[in-house]
Amino acid sequence: MTHEAGQPESAVAAEGLTKRYGSLVAIEELSFSVAPGEIVGFLGPNGAGKSTTMRILAGTMAATSGRASIWGQSVALDPAAAKRRMAYMPENNPLPEDLRVEEYLVLRAKLKDVEPGRVKARVAKVMEDCDLARRASGRLIGQLSKGFRQRVGIADALLSEPKVVLLDEPTIGLDPHQILGIRDLIRALRGKMAVLISSHILHEVEQVCDKVVIINRGRLVAQGRPADLRRELRPSASFTIVAREDAAAVLAAARSLEPAATAEEAGEEDGWRRTRLSLPTGSPALDALATGLASAGLRVREASEEKFGLEEIFLAATRRSPGEGRRS
Amino acid sequence: MRHFRVLYVHELRCALLSGGTWSVAALFLTLMGAVHWFAVLECSRAPTPWTPTEGTFRLFWIPLLFVLPLLTMRTFAEERRSGTLAALLTTPASAAAVVWAKFLATWTVWALLWAAFAAFPALTEQRMGTPGDLRLGDPVALWGGLAFVLTSGLMHVAVGVLCSCVTRSPTLAALLTFVTLLGLTAAGGALDSLPVESWEWMGWLREPADHLRTFGHLQDFASGVMDSRPLVLYLTGTLLCLGLSVLALEGQES
Repeated sequence: MTHEAGQPESAVAAEGLTKRYGSLVAIEELSFSVAPGEIVGFLGPNGAGKSTTMRILAGTMAATSGRASIWGQSVALDPAAAKRRMAYMPENNPLPEDLRVEEYLVLRAKLKDVEPGRVKARVAKVMEDCDLARRASGRLIGQLSKGFRQRVGIADALLSEPKVVLLDEPTIGLDPHQILGIRDLIRALRGKMAVLISSHILHEVEQVCDKVVIINRGRLVAQGRPADLRRELRPSASFTIVAREDAAAVLAAARSLEPAATAEEAGEEDGWRRTRLSLPTGSPALDALATGLASAGLRVREASEEKFGLEEIFLAATRRSPGEGRRS
Repeated sequence: MRHFRVLYVHELRCALLSGGTWSVAALFLTLMGAVHWFAVLECSRAPTPWTPTEGTFRLFWIPLLFVLPLLTMRTFAEERRSGTLAALLTTPASAAAVVWAKFLATWTVWALLWAAFAAFPALTEQRMGTPGDLRLGDPVALWGGLAFVLTSGLMHVAVGVLCSCVTRSPTLAALLTFVTLLGLTAAGGALDSLPVESWEWMGWLREPADHLRTFGHLQDFASGVMDSRPLVLYLTGTLLCLGLSVLALEGQES
């Protein structure tokens, strides 16, 4: 299961994870993986089981069944080895209020087995990277703003240069400036560490992550790269065409490019007719479609493709029954 | 071991810098100062079979029941409530290292409080004593009493740590500690007062009653009698409570 130089195939592996509280099933048969150096978004509606999964991976909660491993080390069988390779920032990022930022990070570095001679240098480096050095190093954590507290949490996570970083809602409660800062910090980790981010903010995940894992009601419903999921979950591509001609003419021209095209009238304004055109996934792209319509003699003013972003992927994935999800 | 050392130094430093610890220290020294002062007054009024230091140590249960729970209540309950304990347990430090570090730091503070109390008999002796008469300071009773409170304190602090481990509320932890320590302190006396001699079926209670007589242990220590049975009792009690604390911590899901 290892690649070159002892590097495992998966930095994080969840295999059939199940967690039950009596008759309540929090997560069931959840399997996914994160490759080394990859940034993965972990998505799901409230109560889907995201935090439960993160806690199991971090070793602060035991799974009822299944196997969680970090860098090839079982979290349940060898927690110390797994914890040495991993850093976890829990939701709400609990921090001791009465310690100063620097002394807290020094304590955490010592507890995370950073070599005694490197503790000061590592603390200085993460404080610099997280923009804490000048503005917060000597301040009590209890006096910090939410944004700086999150930075302290991320600095703590990076202290021991772990192979895996688990971040549970890292940007919750932050203002847009702070979100941008945290996003840049996470982006800078790409290729160096495997990062699993649980988040509600789809835009943020889309901006930062290479891959997404979507769960609903404790079960996996989709995982993969957003482009692959778009292809998987989007039955057809939709375009809006604004032209002088009506929907029938647009459809006739479109069918010369894609015989399975369908169209419907979507309104008219100042003699310009709006047509909603649906083509099967894999049909010509917007440029080719616009060129094709124009060369068929249509007077096209505007052609646009309807967005199918992560939000739509998320909605489509969480609408379908748990268990239909595929591994990629 | 490295984690234990790091955590012990951190916990001790936090305790010594905490306003709460200084408030508890003030309460302890006020209580013990008052008790010692009344013991000195009592001895000055009429001849007593005990010295002021012995008399003060006989009331060791006052700080044990009313001060120690204030020291131990926050060891785990506060951190469980705030979530910092879960964050601590995501580091490679083991639950055993965390429990032992917190226990030993709290015991160190407890020992420092009693060491500070030792100044009272010394000051009384210096200010009010007559040369050649050591009854006011009574060094034998002082060292014996200190040996007792520090040895039994291992188990008493461990009880407090265990109580703090099983709840998120520091107040509830303090109450649990108070009740448990009250039971432990009074158990020997209560069993002793039962008519064991007249009821044969209660004969088996004689031995445990003999082992649990806390005030008897104090007397033995204060008079320089070294009996291994109380040492075994307090050390096994300490290990049992700390073992249960480690299990409680490992079993907690946050």
